[in-house]
Amino acid sequence: MTLLREPDLGTPAQPGAADVAITVDGRSISVPAGTSVMRAAALVGIDVPKLCATDSLEAFGSCRLCLVEIDGRPGTPASCTTPVAPGMSVATQTPKLEKLRRGVMELYISDHPLDCLTCPANGDCELQDMAGVVGLREVRYGYEGENHLDLAKDDSNPYFSFDPAKCIACSRCVRACDEVQGTFALTIQGRGFDSKVSAGAGESFLESECVSCGACVQACPTSTLQEKTVIQLGVPTRTVLTTCAYCGVGCSFKAELRGDQVVRMVPAKDGGANEGHSCVKGRFAFGYATHRDRVLSPMIREKITDPWQDVSWDEAIDYSARRLKAIQAEHGLHSIGGITSSRCTNEEVYVVQKMIRAAFGNNNVDTCARVCHSPTGYGLKQTFGTSAGTQDFRSVEEADVIVVIGANPTDGHPVFASRMKRRLRQGAQLVVVDPRRIDLVRSPHVEAAHHLQLQPGSNVAVVNAMAHVAVTEGLIDRAYVAERCEPVDFATWEVFITGAENSPEAVEPFTGVPAADLRAAARLYASAPNAAIYYGLGVTEHSQGSTMVMAMANLAMATGNIGREGVGVNPLRGQNNVQGACDMGSFPHELPGYRHVSDDAVREVFEQVWGRPIESEPGLRIPNMFDAALAGSFRAMFVQGEDLAQSDPNTAHVKAALSALDLLIVQDLFLNETAAFAHVFLPGTSFLEKDGTFTNAERRINRVRPVMAARTGRQEWEVACELATAMGYPMHYDTASQIMDEIASVTPTFAGVSFRRLDELGSIQWPCNDAAPEGTRFMHVGGFVRGKGRFMPTPFVATDERTTRKYPLILTTGRILSQYNVGAQTRRTSNIVWHEEDILEIHPHDAEVRGLKDGDWATLTSRVGETTMKVCVADRMPQGVIYTTFHHPVSGANVVTTEYSDWATNCPEYKVTAVQVAVTTAPDRIPVG
Amino acid sequence: MTSSVTVYVPGDSAACSVGADSVAEAISLEAERRGHSVVVVRNGSRGLLWLEPLVEVVTDSGRVAYGPVAVSDVSGMFDEGFLHGAAHELGLGFTEEISWLVRQQRLAFMRVGVIDPLSTEDYVAHGGLTGLRRALAMSREEIIEEVTASGLRGRGGAGFPAGVKWRTVEAAVGEQKFICCNADEGDSGTFADRMLMEGDPFVLLEGLAIAAIAVGATEGFVYVRSEYPDAIGVLGAAIAIARDQGWLGERILGSEHRFDVEIRVGAGAYICGEETAMLDSLEGKRGMVRAKPPLPAIAGLFGLPTVVNNVLTLASVPAVLAGGADGYHALGVGRSRGTQVFQLAGNIARGGIVETPFGLPLRELVEDFGGGTLSGRPVRAVQVGGPLGAYLAPDRFDLSMDYEAFAAVGAMIGHGGIVVFDDTVDMAVQARFAMEFCAEESCGKCTPCRVGAVRGVEVIDRIVAGSNRAADVVLLEDLCELMTDGSLCAMGGLTPMPVRSALHQFPEDFGLDPRSTQEAAS
Amino acid sequence: MNREPTSLIRMVNQIAANFVNLPDDEAAGQVANHLAMFWAPSMRTELAVWAEGGGPGLDSVSILALARLATRP
Repeated sequence: MTLLREPDLGTPAQPGAADVAITVDGRSISVPAGTSVMRAAALVGIDVPKLCATDSLEAFGSCRLCLVEIDGRPGTPASCTTPVAPGMSVATQTPKLEKLRRGVMELYISDHPLDCLTCPANGDCELQDMAGVVGLREVRYGYEGENHLDLAKDDSNPYFSFDPAKCIACSRCVRACDEVQGTFALTIQGRGFDSKVSAGAGESFLESECVSCGACVQACPTSTLQEKTVIQLGVPTRTVLTTCAYCGVGCSFKAELRGDQVVRMVPAKDGGANEGHSCVKGRFAFGYATHRDRVLSPMIREKITDPWQDVSWDEAIDYSARRLKAIQAEHGLHSIGGITSSRCTNEEVYVVQKMIRAAFGNNNVDTCARVCHSPTGYGLKQTFGTSAGTQDFRSVEEADVIVVIGANPTDGHPVFASRMKRRLRQGAQLVVVDPRRIDLVRSPHVEAAHHLQLQPGSNVAVVNAMAHVAVTEGLIDRAYVAERCEPVDFATWEVFITGAENSPEAVEPFTGVPAADLRAAARLYASAPNAAIYYGLGVTEHSQGSTMVMAMANLAMATGNIGREGVGVNPLRGQNNVQGACDMGSFPHELPGYRHVSDDAVREVFEQVWGRPIESEPGLRIPNMFDAALAGSFRAMFVQGEDLAQSDPNTAHVKAALSALDLLIVQDLFLNETAAFAHVFLPGTSFLEKDGTFTNAERRINRVRPVMAARTGRQEWEVACELATAMGYPMHYDTASQIMDEIASVTPTFAGVSFRRLDELGSIQWPCNDAAPEGTRFMHVGGFVRGKGRFMPTPFVATDERTTRKYPLILTTGRILSQYNVGAQTRRTSNIVWHEEDILEIHPHDAEVRGLKDGDWATLTSRVGETTMKVCVADRMPQGVIYTTFHHPVSGANVVTTEYSDWATNCPEYKVTAVQVAVTTAPDRIPVG
Repeated sequence: MTSSVTVYVPGDSAACSVGADSVAEAISLEAERRGHSVVVVRNGSRGLLWLEPLVEVVTDSGRVAYGPVAVSDVSGMFDEGFLHGAAHELGLGFTEEISWLVRQQRLAFMRVGVIDPLSTEDYVAHGGLTGLRRALAMSREEIIEEVTASGLRGRGGAGFPAGVKWRTVEAAVGEQKFICCNADEGDSGTFADRMLMEGDPFVLLEGLAIAAIAVGATEGFVYVRSEYPDAIGVLGAAIAIARDQGWLGERILGSEHRFDVEIRVGAGAYICGEETAMLDSLEGKRGMVRAKPPLPAIAGLFGLPTVVNNVLTLASVPAVLAGGADGYHALGVGRSRGTQVFQLAGNIARGGIVETPFGLPLRELVEDFGGGTLSGRPVRAVQVGGPLGAYLAPDRFDLSMDYEAFAAVGAMIGHGGIVVFDDTVDMAVQARFAMEFCAEESCGKCTPCRVGAVRGVEVIDRIVAGSNRAADVVLLEDLCELMTDGSLCAMGGLTPMPVRSALHQFPEDFGLDPRSTQEAAS
Repeated sequence: MNREPTSLIRMVNQIAANFVNLPDDEAAGQVANHLAMFWAPSMRTELAVWAEGGGPGLDSVSILALARLATRP
């Protein structure tokens, strides 16, 4: 019928060689041991009827439709729960089986509404299909018997409804919640005929622990759990395979449409990053693309106090080019610059940085990765030789010890978190290093062996102390180090790290981590067969962010945990294309492929292709641009898809800098906070309109395919080309594919990448070239990219941001599951029901002494600013540390964050701000969104 | 009187339910009042339930029984010299000579009612630990071979050879192995597990220890239903004593074997007597039936190799080891070897425990041991094997009590419970009850059981109401076939057994012409 | 340039602090390298001018590094 159906083999694949031969209805097939009879049959082209089985879940054996007969065995075993055995001969179609199957369907339909024609799942319902498959012609029990048809529908979730009248009690939803998502929110309440799917203890879905990942909805074979969009719009008719534009996990989705209207996003089973799973954002929160706030026409204004004027694309481009050139004429070549966006495709980023380097003629290009993972770039390049995570996501399934540092995967990277939790449920050990008791520390069937609840800002001391324990207790892998690392650097490091100042006992007073816990955690990590580190912005967004990345790399190298499956040092990237934006030469000192602008040979490659000279000195980074703007030497800025005024630290400073510009060009979906300071607004495209690629945190290049035409009439790369051309540098591509071809031609790690190859392989993890034609799952196998791994001394240098009597608390920040970053997208969806506003979490003791109660309003003051937030009293934070999210402009967490930054990269120190909190009255303001 | 007299008054909860506690107290008070030195021992029940409270007094020539004793009888018994074993209208003579007991052959129940349940001296004096000591001197393989050779089969109902199951667990690879004793005795008309746990708890622990040594398990669980508070109490005390004595713990009887036992209390779900649902419950989950494979022997409790055996199976093991495989195997018939503990209940004159070798005719249990109905009316049917067992009319009473003979006629021995009905029973109501019971107790996992049982009740109602009887009988037969062949576990799979046996043997109760369904049955 | 480049001074001192475990001379080399690799020339120039004027606020390694930078080709 439609393209939407994916083959479902009924039960999961089993590892191993296909060496068990069986026959099914006379057809022979060999499959790995442990494979179910059902799957073997499906592989040979025989679909055994089924309802409770689906290949994303372990076999359950409840529906009893898939019964088969096996020569030499009694009875009619279920094919889903029966593993193959050598020589087995299976019959799937016999008169007896047909009778039994009809009998099962007769029972099902005797307790099911007879409303197929008006059911939202009509044509997309497995129950309906099976009734047809088994040839059900009558229900002799009648429809007057005991039934569930009067059960009330639960419409509480904004995205899907739960209609228990249609439930066949197959438990697929419950199992999906347990096995795939790992939240354990659903259960079967009651027993026997009273069995009923229940979210929590009789709560509604919205009130329950449900995280709206959609796994249950996807698993439901009927219309019991159904997307509301399908109920409203009908069953989709076509599908486009594309990539989610939220976090750095980069899930593959099937956009399912009717015409040009997206009906639903369904995670793709063969998506390399997500393997069929999703979270509430990617699965449901796509409505922002058609939100009424979208700006679809270019706009200009002379002064930021003037009203916006809609203009044509040509006019907007001419105006921008004219003013940029005029400013350069007056203030010099380096007086303008631009920022690429991690939200945009590789092709868009590449073209924008090319525009800046070739048309603007300088290296004043930076990207929003500056404020998140730039220390990752620096630290991993220094130690390993390339600035990328070492593993793919699947690698976690081989990890024995998992260390999560400064990351909150269940909120920030939920689809990867589900995979990690599955591994933890299988018995891998977990160490959490975080000031906050994140959900992973203790959640259903997962408990951290150690939670090192450190003081914000003391990361480096903690990881140095872990390395100290590994070295001094003889737990390091000297053979690995000798073979794979620079001996002199290691020797220097060894002397440094064994110093008494790095012992757990020495750092305990200021890290707050009990030395015994730290030693135990270090032993666990260092002694594991496979130990893997996953980290997030809690590592990078510190004044020692780069040091910390190197400290983790040192620890991993010393213990031999780099260069194979199950190990590694892995950044969890915040935005969908942080990795790609960095790969594409967005940093002022690097050309695409992380090659320094001072390298003559590299520049020559680009100069050849681009036909313009490239400057050999680094350009300005974002914070440098702000400083230069305030100093008057930097006058114009092109900002693509980043809301500097909300997301960058010390809002007052940022706004002053933006106000000082002669020209600010903003390209975005919405009139964001930054646009308030802009003179030109160029409407951007949402991911549903883009054509290109995103690269996720595992270096996986995924295709982004347009689901609808650009609502603005222009692809963003076209706009950059036109602007460059208008400035006198002709730049033109017919298609996004041509851009990727150019990227491949100038970037050795992308040499084998093309849209055609991506279509063939599904996705590609770079490096992809002649040496690795299908890409690279794990980095540094056999040897490091830089040759020998390099240990770097990582002295702990405390931040200058200190608590004082006036600002006695430390504020740190993070994310929440339902919202994304500055919230520009998610606030414009129903996700708002889970997080209406940013909340300040404060320890009961700190609340008590300030007279604060749960739900009170409080002022939050740092030495740079003040804001107001509602308080949540909770003991997730240690005493003295408070926490909030930064999703809402109205609360403006960055009003209080300071100008301190990472020493090496200027990545802002979002995670440590000295503040005071005081009770106040509710602010008089209108929520945005 | 110079030395004290020992009097046994059962502490068994069946005896207590008819006043044994009061009787024991009355005897103590009466002895005190009269200045006699009497020691009252609370033993288990001898299993002659119609005679409870059955009081025994120890005399030089043996134990003399009186029963059923009421508090009001006590004074008169003292008057007539019961402390010397004197005759009394309630006197039953020497306990050992009571023909109801003489005709039995007690192995599992050898000490039940005989000893003080928590006396280690009594236990050892009556042959306790002989089996365990022998097992400790044997290799794993030898123990398993002994149990296999004995022909001991699972007494929970399925009758799977115990030795084969143990061998599978022994051979399975796992970082730990478990022994789980199923004491969730939920079948109507069954009480042997309870009486054994209350009357001789050490034998169960000994059986568990032997099984553990045989398969290399280090931890055991006894899953007892919450409705058995006395059994839980006695067994708990026995475990504490056994640990104290070194019968359990780090070094069993000083050997290198480590094994300990814990009690887990069920929460009232019949389905948790199904072994895989019981494992779920032991793991702290709601009790849901698991699909097999994997067998619990390979992936049982917490996914590790696990022996799941019934109380009576494990309680038979010490006797097998003590007396040797041959002795055990010499009892019984066909592939049903050793003894079975039958439990007589329902509308029966003489209810209780009858442990005999397999192979006696059903009639002997119902008529000779049981004495027919309590009401005195003719027996119309008996249900053997619990609520999922078949109903049998008197014309089947010559059936041999063994697994194969019962299976051949679409019936089962099950856990050995026999419930008797007189001629006032409405078998359509009984059939309906079977479906109702299934609907009530179904875990709800598989469709034939979850939905089928509810529809079964409705269809039986329709048959009885009679609007479309012929078609509805066909539908009921189809449903029974589907439940039998299609259910995930024995709960749904066996429910048709009482339904069909009632329908086929007693069609008139359903408003049917007897001839029509006899044909359908053949 | 007379205005004090506050944030540049803070940044260079912070870089110098992270090479605290090296001898001053070596640390200055590392700092100089870092500035050459990652700083725009305008930033280096501004700071160099400040250093030539005595460099109030700059720590000794920073001054050394800026001097080192000035002598580079």
